Amino acid sequence: MDLVQLQRQLVDYKTSLYNEGFLDEQFTQLQELQDENNPDFVVEVVSLFFEDSERLLNELTKALEQQSVDFKRVDAHVHQLKGSSSSIGAQRVQKVCIAFRNYCEEQNIEGCVKCLQQVRHEYSLVKTKLESMFQLQQQILSAGGSIPM
Amino acid sequence: MIQENVWISTNSLDFAQSMTLLLRFQIQSYIQRTMYSHGTSGEQSNYYSRSRGLRVLLVDDDEINRMVTKKMLEKLGCEVTAVSTGFECLSAFSHAENSFRVVVLDLHMPEIYGFEVATRIRKFRSCNWPLIIALTASTEDNVQKRCVQIGMNAVLQKPVLLQAMAAELQRILHRAKPL
Repeated sequence: MDLVQLQRQLVDYKTSLYNEGFLDEQFTQLQELQDENNPDFVVEVVSLFFEDSERLLNELTKALEQQSVDFKRVDAHVHQLKGSSSSIGAQRVQKVCIAFRNYCEEQNIEGCVKCLQQVRHEYSLVKTKLESMFQLQQQILSAGGSIPM
Repeated sequence: MIQENVWISTNSLDFAQSMTLLLRFQIQSYIQRTMYSHGTSGEQSNYYSRSRGLRVLLVDDDEINRMVTKKMLEKLGCEVTAVSTGFECLSAFSHAENSFRVVVLDLHMPEIYGFEVATRIRKFRSCNWPLIIALTASTEDNVQKRCVQIGMNAVLQKPVLLQAMAAELQRILHRAKPL
């Protein structure tokens, strides 16, 4: 595939991510913050988000497996995940977190477990999509092209 | 006055981007009263080391948020010290050589809430208060009211956009008194 086709593919892919609600304007914001002083800023922040989310998802799983669930603890983790997903523009993850927090407030175990499944699902979707996008970007850069914004 | 050699990215500037640049220039010239130029990265880093930018203390316990907000403030020309706890924030103030002009404070932090931190900052300094910008995910009215009572200068909703931060910084620097 030639450079122009790759760049076209990237633009189309990014557009679809926004259209399908995987990303919102906060992600655009991240790209705008990237500059020649920090050329890998977006990848760095997103990688941090992946690490942090995986940790939080594990903590949530453990917390919900307890005999007596500590809803405050669960809520604290979800709040963190909501905050970080919102910071990077992972809109669908953020939305599930909002519902998740409501179930925590109601101390509804079933609701929480369901939300955990949902948030895991949304997280793995956005992770796959962002990784694909970064790969495309890398292909373009390796072919000597620049990233269309 | 702004020098001519402004670096423009390969995509055309849309309105939001040009507004951001404009606000950034205004903040820079207000603070430094020097010529501001975008140049190569070499020139930019010389600029940042040579001149004194607005000294900001950023307080946020979340690593990702801290990274993004710090970059945002640096993009606006600020010299940012980032801490992750309310305690670190307060101890930063106890060092006389630190003269933070602005504190950007996340209101929701585990071991010591943002309100508590802000109240203590206000007690610490009887004059030359730092300006305080609160960051909150909450949309409740009483949060805004409480911020005013404590003497914060601005409240921003998370997630924060660059333009919003730029506009608030400009507004509070211009007014330089509590809400």
